[in-house]
Amino acid sequence: MEAFLFFTCGALMLLGGVMMVLQRSAVVAALWLVFAFIAAAGVFAALSAPFVAIMQVLVYAGAIMVLFLFVIMMLHGPVLDGERKRLPLPMWPAVAIPPLAVLVLVGGWLSGRKAEALPAAPEGFGAPAQIANLLLGRYLLAFELISIVLLVALIGALTLGLRERKLPWS
Amino acid sequence: MVVSLNLCLGLAAAIFVVGMTGFVVRRNTLVMLMCIELMLSSVNLVFAAFSRQLGDASGHVFVLMNFAVAAAEAAIGLAMLVEIYRRRRTVDVDELKSLME
Repeated sequence: MEAFLFFTCGALMLLGGVMMVLQRSAVVAALWLVFAFIAAAGVFAALSAPFVAIMQVLVYAGAIMVLFLFVIMMLHGPVLDGERKRLPLPMWPAVAIPPLAVLVLVGGWLSGRKAEALPAAPEGFGAPAQIANLLLGRYLLAFELISIVLLVALIGALTLGLRERKLPWS
Repeated sequence: MVVSLNLCLGLAAAIFVVGMTGFVVRRNTLVMLMCIELMLSSVNLVFAAFSRQLGDASGHVFVLMNFAVAAAEAAIGLAMLVEIYRRRRTVDVDELKSLME
């Protein structure tokens, strides 16, 4: 069951990513990315991370992608002119070599390792209670710092988005 | 067929490479931002896989941190994009190269 979920959702996530890159329209690309993220939630579930799987759907496939779709529809629904052009021929090696290098490196490293099944997860592994204990215990400082990151991002987005430069503090 | 750590890492690497290729190939800044999100997501898979392998849920905490970083990145990136669009009326990276010239 676990292996079935992992292989199905992993393949679907890869498909979603590839289709996102191949689509010309940004809206359709965003929808394929939502598909990939929902499949990623399935992969997380297969890796016995139920809380992370739920947060993946809520935060990534929900909040972040809605933000993307909102901006895409606000700016430029149709296809850009530049997307209709094909890449010039001398560009192709520059595009193909870095990904191939990564794949060869990772593949070479992985082929030298024994492929053992993942150990079974202990009871309550990845459940909200365990995550909460870690988040508000061992990683409390990181938790507080990430909240500051989000606050700064909020203020930054607000500052960038204001049309007139009339900020309340200036 | 069993799920091994190697498979998880291979899947994450493949998805990372898809995002990386898309970032280079696509000309639309919005889609380039989406490719960054896909790359961040592939890193989350690695965190979850090692978390399971080592039986320690700390990796899940860092996946949640990564969600927050991705959200912040999307918010700032899209705000910058809207501002660029207001000034230049385009989101095509080939048009936005005044720093390069």
